[in-house]
Amino acid sequence: MSTRVRRSTIAAFLGPAIAALLIVGIVPLLYALWKSFHYFNLTKQAQSRFVGLDNYAFVLTDYVFWQAMGRTALLFIVSVPVQIAIGLTIALVLHRPGLTLWKTLTRLSLVLPMATTYAVVGLLAQVMLNQKYGVINQMLGWIGIDAINFIGDPTNAFIAAILWDIWQWTPFVALVLLAGLSTVPPEIEEAAQLETKSNWTILRHVQLPYLIPSLVAVLILRTADTLKLFDMVFTMTRGGPGAATEFIAILIERVGNRQFDIGMASAQSIIMLAITIVLARTYIRLFYREVR
Amino acid sequence: MKFKTQASAIALAATAALSAGQASAWSLEEAAKPYAGTEVEVLFLDRPGYNAAIKMLPDFEAATGIKVNITTVPYENALGEQVRDFVAGGDLDIALIDLVWIGNFAENGWIVPSETFTKDPALADPDLDMADFFPLVLDAFGSWNSVNYGLPFDNYSGLLFYNSCMLKDAGFDKPPATWDEVMNVYGPALTKDGKYAYALQSKRNETQSADSFARMLWPFGGSFLTKEFKSNLNSPESQAGLKFRQDLMKYMPEGIVAYDHSEVVNALAQGDVAFLTEWSAFYSTLASPETSKLGDCLAVAPEPKGPAGRKPALGGFSLAVASQADDAEKAAGWLFIQWVTSKANAGKYLELGGVPARQSAYADPALAATYKFIPALVESWQEGVPEFRPRFAEWPAITEIVQEWGTKMMLGEVSTEEGAKVIGEKMEAVLAEAGYYDGKKPLAQ
Repeated sequence: MSTRVRRSTIAAFLGPAIAALLIVGIVPLLYALWKSFHYFNLTKQAQSRFVGLDNYAFVLTDYVFWQAMGRTALLFIVSVPVQIAIGLTIALVLHRPGLTLWKTLTRLSLVLPMATTYAVVGLLAQVMLNQKYGVINQMLGWIGIDAINFIGDPTNAFIAAILWDIWQWTPFVALVLLAGLSTVPPEIEEAAQLETKSNWTILRHVQLPYLIPSLVAVLILRTADTLKLFDMVFTMTRGGPGAATEFIAILIERVGNRQFDIGMASAQSIIMLAITIVLARTYIRLFYREVR
Repeated sequence: MKFKTQASAIALAATAALSAGQASAWSLEEAAKPYAGTEVEVLFLDRPGYNAAIKMLPDFEAATGIKVNITTVPYENALGEQVRDFVAGGDLDIALIDLVWIGNFAENGWIVPSETFTKDPALADPDLDMADFFPLVLDAFGSWNSVNYGLPFDNYSGLLFYNSCMLKDAGFDKPPATWDEVMNVYGPALTKDGKYAYALQSKRNETQSADSFARMLWPFGGSFLTKEFKSNLNSPESQAGLKFRQDLMKYMPEGIVAYDHSEVVNALAQGDVAFLTEWSAFYSTLASPETSKLGDCLAVAPEPKGPAGRKPALGGFSLAVASQADDAEKAAGWLFIQWVTSKANAGKYLELGGVPARQSAYADPALAATYKFIPALVESWQEGVPEFRPRFAEWPAITEIVQEWGTKMMLGEVSTEEGAKVIGEKMEAVLAEAGYYDGKKPLAQ
């Protein structure tokens, strides 16, 4: 009896997934690409026209776009290393033997920030960081610190966005790295522990090589997430005060959904997608070369 | 006071009442008969005026057999939801139009002129009485280029809400009448002990452009545009208003650029500021013991005058029939709009928390005892500026520019001159792209 699977069976299994990908991913992407070559404003459809690369030329020379990109990059540069440092610490603690019940409870509680709707996280921040009535300032008052204007001051608002991002996504990093640590063969770890008492040496030479795939995944996902960061900031500051927290996704939403300039917003999105792909490929090249 | 409560049956009867010398047999029930079973779709906001209309709705549906399906959305989403629906040929049969959207909706042909229905004797209520609407409100909220599309539904004017007890404690027996008094008399006297004289909602959204930026332009003689549609923001008058705003910040809570409506209303309600300028619609929030500590200390006055006069903030929504609706939906939609904004229902709408734009609704002087905002509101609607914010289709793009740079001015990141220059350049670029400078579009705002 032949063990070959019929082509129709393969198609039946793969077909729905491919169709779904086409409908929700590829077709909208191609549509956005097409629209990015047009002047296309929902409220001025009579003026719609093909403009070639004009939208791209405008975006690439628009200081507002690059300022938003710069803020997004700064957010990423500050928050992701902190998330990795704290996440790795948590993962290493949870990886140690013993205290099973507490570790289980910790794992469960780590899911909570990730499971909270992004917009709700922003609303929580808005309420908790309120200068007059917020619980954070109330707690600071208990230790004699004057109320801080978190949301109304540009620098503080940016720092608040970073801290909130760290709060929400450190657990994700911790869980991914914990999964990575579980791939380290126990006998190798035990052998290493016989060779040295230095946890750092074990981490650097034994555990870290196994963590590289997890770290690459974290970097790729957090890069994409940071570039897409919208809900939390929108509900917390709406990109303000001024443009202090206008990250790239906030800018694109403003152009597309509030100015209705779909052509320009599409060009911005395509450029953002290109940057994401380049960064993802860079991570893979750099880190996997390290592994080899 | 017991307001002249008009039970729904009476309201409907009044709507249907014969008008002397006019169509002898018009009634809502008869007019709606061909459309019984028709469903109309409309977006509402979660605000007192809409909640009032929702409470009144069962009477309309019982009388007409028309079903009004309401989807409630946040204000920030209302424009986008409707634009996408109209572009895609969606389900909405009635347009909810903020006054700054009227040009956009009219120029795109998304709404039907009201004349289409008022000239149809089968649909036009003989008691519609368009002249009974406050002319400023009817013009600003529902009309574009001298054509009326919408009937005023959720109507606001900027008012001065104040804590009369705080003012009395500071030696004042009346609120500030001018912005100069706010700056030089009330501000210094009331800003002390962790309390502030005034709060100007200035968050970076429509609040920044409408409630903060524009509010300080007009009373000082400034404006967004000259008659030629060039930026007027660097004129001495506009700059005087914007600099006044900067100077006045010393009498406002720290971080005022992060304050939206809810924050300033709460600040007054909790006794942290002495007065604020807010939409009339917030009266019920400030008057309710559940949301405010003010109690009898709450008092209302018109906004202070500037060198150019009062020029209070003007805002509100009209309802218009959407062009994309089919004929039955258009007729049913019109009957609903006409009914909910009618003279006969204005009293009930007011009683339930709405603010009608019917002059006749405010004719009873005794009403002012129950609704303290009424005298100030009526006075404000005599002096408003329809183009308080330009109402053309380009406003959504321009307001984003004003929001960003207006906030930067307040934060001191740019001077008022620099900020006004940038806004002006960007605003003119938007207007040039739209065709205002090469004669493609009339200079209407």
